[in-house]
Amino acid sequence: MSRHQYAMVMDLNKCLGCQTCTIACKKLWTDRDGTDYMYWNNVETRPGLGYPRQWDRNGGGWKDGELQPGRLPTLDDYGAPWEYDYEQRLYEGSGKPVMPSPDPQSGCNWDEDVGALNGDDNFYFYLPRICNHCTYPACLAACPRQAIYKREEDGIVLIDQERCQGYRYCIAACPYKKIYFNEITGKSEKCIFCYPRLEKGEVNACAAQCPGRLRFVGILDDPESPVHKLVLVYRVALPLFPEKGTQPNVFYVPPFNPPRRGNYGKSILEDPRLPLDYLVYLFGPEVKDVIRRLEAELVRAQNGERSEVLQLLIGRDAATRYRIPAREQLVQIKT
Amino acid sequence: MNQRGQLLTVLLLLMTSAAPAFSQQPAHTAALPQHLRLRANFSPQSAEVLLDPAAPAWQSTPAQRIALHRTPPLYDTDPPASLEISFVEVRTLRAAGKLFVHLSWRDASADYVELPAVPDTPPEQRFLKEHTLGPERFFDAAAVMFPKDAPGGVVSPSLQMGDAQGPVSMYYWNAARGAMRMEAAGRGTTRRTGDSFSARAVYASGTWQVVLELPELPPATPLAFAIWNGSQLDRDGRKYFSVWHWLE
Repeated sequence: MSRHQYAMVMDLNKCLGCQTCTIACKKLWTDRDGTDYMYWNNVETRPGLGYPRQWDRNGGGWKDGELQPGRLPTLDDYGAPWEYDYEQRLYEGSGKPVMPSPDPQSGCNWDEDVGALNGDDNFYFYLPRICNHCTYPACLAACPRQAIYKREEDGIVLIDQERCQGYRYCIAACPYKKIYFNEITGKSEKCIFCYPRLEKGEVNACAAQCPGRLRFVGILDDPESPVHKLVLVYRVALPLFPEKGTQPNVFYVPPFNPPRRGNYGKSILEDPRLPLDYLVYLFGPEVKDVIRRLEAELVRAQNGERSEVLQLLIGRDAATRYRIPAREQLVQIKT
Repeated sequence: MNQRGQLLTVLLLLMTSAAPAFSQQPAHTAALPQHLRLRANFSPQSAEVLLDPAAPAWQSTPAQRIALHRTPPLYDTDPPASLEISFVEVRTLRAAGKLFVHLSWRDASADYVELPAVPDTPPEQRFLKEHTLGPERFFDAAAVMFPKDAPGGVVSPSLQMGDAQGPVSMYYWNAARGAMRMEAAGRGTTRRTGDSFSARAVYASGTWQVVLELPELPPATPLAFAIWNGSQLDRDGRKYFSVWHWLE
């Protein structure tokens, strides 16, 4: 365990699925040789296959204190990227339309916006995902090279590119499949929580670019930080698959809004738009309590009272959403 | 370490503890059983000729068939692996001030690709980047390990990548990534030195033939061999290994 822990909260009720976060991350970190198939930040449609395909059924994580076996996803599971033959079609003027090659049969986000049926109603929501910078990272424990480390000062989990030999035990061990192998460098890579930005006082690129303003960033053990309030005080944000045992530090405000069509006057738990079983699958049984708390806040606001929780979740400005301490400040925060 | 790992350590310690009697008396390799000895005759051929695995000089050199063993699963999460490659044939020749080691082993699948060479231009200045085509694939590889210091005159180091008293040198060849030198002083301490060395390989008729150019090593130097089978997800300590064999 680290002395302090950076955390992110994402309010899934606000995610538009626009992928601006994905592109911000891609342009900044994975526009290099060997990284084309990687999205350190991705946004997938739920219910759906996810990225890589079926990652939530590929093992990994902890059970009774033991690492669990995991499977290495294939390029096909990630979705093989394709190219467009611009040179031949545009510059040499063949007159034919620019077509992707190879002919795509699947790909990352192939099932975007497909969702599923709840009764007669289609439903889906977006799930943005980054590395969870877990408190008990399975990747770190699985690496025989001790190439993965968790920073003492802020809990960010990093892969030492000098020590990494590309064995990929970490990928199998990560229950969220958020580590990627770069075949060109022969090393594994992952989300670095934009630590070089944080160290300059800038928030993570994915959060900075988010038009939906759904990301909250700060130190989990800093009582003034929005993430501390949302996770530990108001208790309206939950980690993904808590039963995997790694204790993620990315938390989600579960999607519950808008209410189902035609259910005016009923509580969300009584007649949910999203099947609760599916939310329990993702976030564990506590998700029902969280939705109850959120619904109570909604009722309070509808009755003309002020809801601190909703005011925070609206996240009007960067100062509300982010609290990025300077490094020297970080060590002074009392644990 | 799991129970099987502990058992392996004990077995390896037993095996290596038998070694000092031989290796402390390098002149007496004759006392070794025949199957633990490696004959290395002198050859008048050039390095260029001997680096060809199909060179006639290798065909006329008798092969020593060395038994390979699977490392037990290092982690409880490892899928089990069967013994698909039960031996490696080793030929050694001394020439041009070097020791040439010719390894050949049967492997039904050649797990290798031509990885793209990374262009000199930085990626941000290029429109197209090189691709990762198989994040899940592993490549065939082979290595020879020997004591790093005073080869020939010391107690043979631990088979598990040497030990603090007996650091080891590895000459490692990977079908896709080429030849690289490594050093270690115990399990988990392996590091690449950054140097390469001459090695050439051919795969034909279900057999790998690889020639590695090692430095000149004195008689009674112990050598150990390892083979990684990409199709069995081999990498790291998940591999085939031999016990120590002594150069004559």
